[in-house]
Amino acid sequence: MGEVSTDPRVHLKRRQLFRLHTAISGGLAVVLLIIWVVTSGPFSYPWPEWPILFFAMALAVHRLFLVVFENPGRWMKRRMTTGFALHLGVALILSAMVTAIWVFAGRGYFWPVWPILSFAIALAIHWLYVLSRRIEHLEVRRSDAVEMQQSDLSRIERDLHDGAQARLVALGMNLGMAEQKFATDPDGARLLVSEAREGVGDALKELRDLVRGIRPPVLADRGLEAAISSLVDRSPITVHVASHITSRPTEPVETAAYFVVAEALTNAAKHARANRIDVLLNRTDNTLQVEVTDDGRGGADVAGHGLRGLRRRVEALDGHLFVASPAGGPTVIRAELPCGQ
Amino acid sequence: MRAVIAEDLALLRDGLTRLLRDNGIDVIAAVDNPTDLITTVEREQPEIAIVDIRLPPTFRDEGLRAAIELRQSAPETSILVVSQYVERSYAAELLADGRGGIGYLLKDRIFDVAAFVDSVRRVAAGGTALDPEVVAQLVSRRRPGGALDRLTPREQEVLALMAEGKSNAGLAEKLVLSTGAIEKHIANIFTKLDLVASSNEHRRVLAVLAHLNSQANDI
Repeated sequence: MGEVSTDPRVHLKRRQLFRLHTAISGGLAVVLLIIWVVTSGPFSYPWPEWPILFFAMALAVHRLFLVVFENPGRWMKRRMTTGFALHLGVALILSAMVTAIWVFAGRGYFWPVWPILSFAIALAIHWLYVLSRRIEHLEVRRSDAVEMQQSDLSRIERDLHDGAQARLVALGMNLGMAEQKFATDPDGARLLVSEAREGVGDALKELRDLVRGIRPPVLADRGLEAAISSLVDRSPITVHVASHITSRPTEPVETAAYFVVAEALTNAAKHARANRIDVLLNRTDNTLQVEVTDDGRGGADVAGHGLRGLRRRVEALDGHLFVASPAGGPTVIRAELPCGQ
Repeated sequence: MRAVIAEDLALLRDGLTRLLRDNGIDVIAAVDNPTDLITTVEREQPEIAIVDIRLPPTFRDEGLRAAIELRQSAPETSILVVSQYVERSYAAELLADGRGGIGYLLKDRIFDVAAFVDSVRRVAAGGTALDPEVVAQLVSRRRPGGALDRLTPREQEVLALMAEGKSNAGLAEKLVLSTGAIEKHIANIFTKLDLVASSNEHRRVLAVLAHLNSQANDI
């Protein structure tokens, strides 16, 4: 699923380790200070400042790792990578350390300016690298989005051409023949007309399905929850929906979330042999989370057409799609879509 | 019989007007927006208003909202909602007040002119007309092992046609059975679903719809 573990037990262990580290460092510092006072008195050269400085640095680095890896999402939101956050932290700690060394060594010419300057230059280069990677990433997504739009349009064009358009042509032929037959063969004409009527019904049904595949009217009318309950009405499998949506997200986000659920329900019914599906909708301040779980046999084709299309749709909105479908199930499809207030 | 039509597309508005007039229904007004629909119906009190769901200004569900408003403000007028697509939840909203004189059909059903005119007359007379597609959704959304599973296949067939609003005579014709046999099936259905039977055909249909709706909403 491409995620860093967020198991709370792991967090707790890491924090306990840090507390132990702090206690040992503090204890050692106190011991050193006592030795110093006992052996040479409080007004002599404070040599324990050196080991204590290194203890402090080790603690700071430990703390930094804890903060950076505890919540990787925090950096992503600020357009930072975890690597850059780490680099920034190390640079700040090292700067503080050289400044402390300068103070301990009797001040004078502020030589730490040079190491600090070099840290800053390295940081700036790293930041440029992060930005260029982000631009590259956005370029890929943009071309994906354009390609997706193009393939959607071609599909619609093909569906119209082979479906409704062809039916209308056949209908016109039927009606033309009926017109010819009216005088000579009224029964034959009546048969052709009633066939034509059935043809119109089929064409309308095809158009309806096509429209539903582009953007279902109920989604525009009543929003995501109503549209999903309409999908549920049409699903052959029992679906349980739990929704925590306080306010309507933007249209593109709603549409993407709808198609995540639609595709997941279709897959579960078609391939997974599932008996039960759970849909979870959750809206926080700036994300819409959609999760669909089925109790089927798993093994969904992540590289297949459907899921690839979904991923593109979600990523075009700067969201993330996670799919877990081990053989034997269950299948979990989760989309996280950023949406403003 | 007097009717009002609300449909925003002129092509369909004129077509429907002609179709109804050809079948002896007096179309007293054909409007293209919900505001005119509400004022006309409240003023003229026709037997029926035929309303498209998608109306201006936003072309979403204004027609449906106007229809629900008219159920309150003009209870004497029956309403038949027609649309290019049907949703079970919209049907539930229209049926929510438990009264008859309501219909909800796909526009496709207009092609079978005789059946459509029959639906219009039935709804105008206080009956119901529910699209088979909605009925299929209602019947398919049931609890496994629930009351509906106790019905025989024939009874389920009768139930679905009843939910569409068909009269007993219509059911008998469609299933090629005597009205007596139909009555017997209906009595069995009401016993199995634990519903109170009524001698009024419309009321029996409403009881069946209320049952199906509550089943579907429970899941």
